Amino acid sequence: MSFIEARGVEFSYSPDEEKVIKNIDLKIEKGSYVAILGHNGCGKSTLAKLLCGILTPTEGQILIDGADTADEEKSFEIRKKCGMVFQNPDNQLVASVVEEDVAFAPENLGLPRDEIRKRVDMALATVDMTEYKEHATYKLSGGQKQRIAIAGMLAMSPECIIFDEATAMLDPTGRKEIVAAMKRLNSEIGITVVTITHYMNEAVEADRIIVMNKGEIIADGTPKEIFSEVEKLQSVSLAVPQVAELMYLLEQDGHPLPRGVLHAMEAADLLEAYIKGAKND
Amino acid sequence: MLKDVTFGQYYPGNSLLHRTDPRIKMLILIEYLVLVLVANSEIAALLSLAFTVFLIAVSGVRFGILIKSVKPLIFVLAFTAIINLFFTVGEGEPLLNWGFITIYANGVRNAIMMLLRLLSLVLGTSVLISFTTSPLELTDAIEALLSPLKKIKVPVHEFAMMMSIALRFIPTLIEETNKIISAQKARCADFESGNLLKRIKALIPILIPLFVSAVRRAEELADAMECRCYNGGEGRTKLKVMKSRPADYAFLLAVTVLTVAVFFLNNISVSEIINLCKAIF
Repeated sequence: MSFIEARGVEFSYSPDEEKVIKNIDLKIEKGSYVAILGHNGCGKSTLAKLLCGILTPTEGQILIDGADTADEEKSFEIRKKCGMVFQNPDNQLVASVVEEDVAFAPENLGLPRDEIRKRVDMALATVDMTEYKEHATYKLSGGQKQRIAIAGMLAMSPECIIFDEATAMLDPTGRKEIVAAMKRLNSEIGITVVTITHYMNEAVEADRIIVMNKGEIIADGTPKEIFSEVEKLQSVSLAVPQVAELMYLLEQDGHPLPRGVLHAMEAADLLEAYIKGAKND
Repeated sequence: MLKDVTFGQYYPGNSLLHRTDPRIKMLILIEYLVLVLVANSEIAALLSLAFTVFLIAVSGVRFGILIKSVKPLIFVLAFTAIINLFFTVGEGEPLLNWGFITIYANGVRNAIMMLLRLLSLVLGTSVLISFTTSPLELTDAIEALLSPLKKIKVPVHEFAMMMSIALRFIPTLIEETNKIISAQKARCADFESGNLLKRIKALIPILIPLFVSAVRRAEELADAMECRCYNGGEGRTKLKVMKSRPADYAFLLAVTVLTVAVFFLNNISVSEIINLCKAIF
């Protein structure tokens, strides 16, 4: 059974408004690293809220580890399993001191003190913020605040963390820190990571990309597959990573180069081989 | 405009007052207020003054900070002293009779007493609570002391949570206000000229965006708290548990004795004490 399963999900904020999410079927396996890509207003943030149970679908159902998000009795269990990091780092910190904030979730779970202490220290070490544990949260930078928010989720020891445009308000340095943290959570601790973003370079890091447009899934596959379909992405106003675009343009010019190349070094090697080959001919 | 608003007045330290259990400090504060307001005779006033000096001495707060905290009150202090000096109608010969100004010995006494009392109140409460207790300790202490009210369904936990969140958001909202002010100034808003009414009206374009964003923040924070399994106060544990040591109880007892002593000394004048001493020796 998949960890998250959406069956025919539709959603609108009020009955007379247009549907924000239309007929989505989706399975996300445990331990995977999924990026959901989409243009502004395509419903990706709404989907994120649906996937962790903050919103419940108006039509269809979402199962998290077999529990229906519409089932009020199971909502606590679902929350425990599936955490979420939001866009604005300022609006999700509850306490004024770093370690107090990280302790918020385990305190809510009613864990004994020693266990809370252990989890807080572990979570802060994972995001590399141990030295800041007694600092005031408002004095931290955006990237640091967001790392504290991640630590706050980790202290709950969830099986899945959804990042709802968690890097959108950060500077490039902060963004790198958070993407590195996501990768580490996924590969080292085995947490299922779902990241909602409109930065292509972040999506490249994932194992699987889901592209959304106007509330529907229009493409689903590995980064290589997704970024091979340059025209499709451009038709929904999404840019492809620079490297992929370069290869695409060269191909359009009649050079037989492979599509879906995502990393600069890989592209450089391919181009070198191609140029050498052309000279020899 | 809001540059000189400092967040809270807490000065981290490790003095006797810093280490005292915040719950005990709250109780001591209540006794202290009674003590200062009740002390009426010279000897009682002297005792309360001595205790205030003692509190200041053990708080380890720098002298400059104390001066800074009294500065904004100079006008009020001077006004009270002058009112007492000129308008107390005493018995016997006036000390000074100069036109419409008449000063009695009693007036001088009242003025000094009032001045000392106000000064004690300001400095004593500051060193006892605001300078030496972190906001979080303070809310925890209030929650603990009011917890008996939970039995009659007073939402004590919710109240304390609201308070700590309010404190957490002060710096965030100040920063935001400064940003809005800059943004409005860049659009040629004028906050400094015109009469009072005009200047109050000029604040509207600051307040409306501020309120809108505060509401939005609150909504997001509520989602974030729910995601971290917040379910109200029931079954919640704490990372930091307040512990009172024997020394804390001893401190409380000492202040209680002092307060009772002040009640007794109120009815005894200096001459009576001198007589008492003579009788004993």
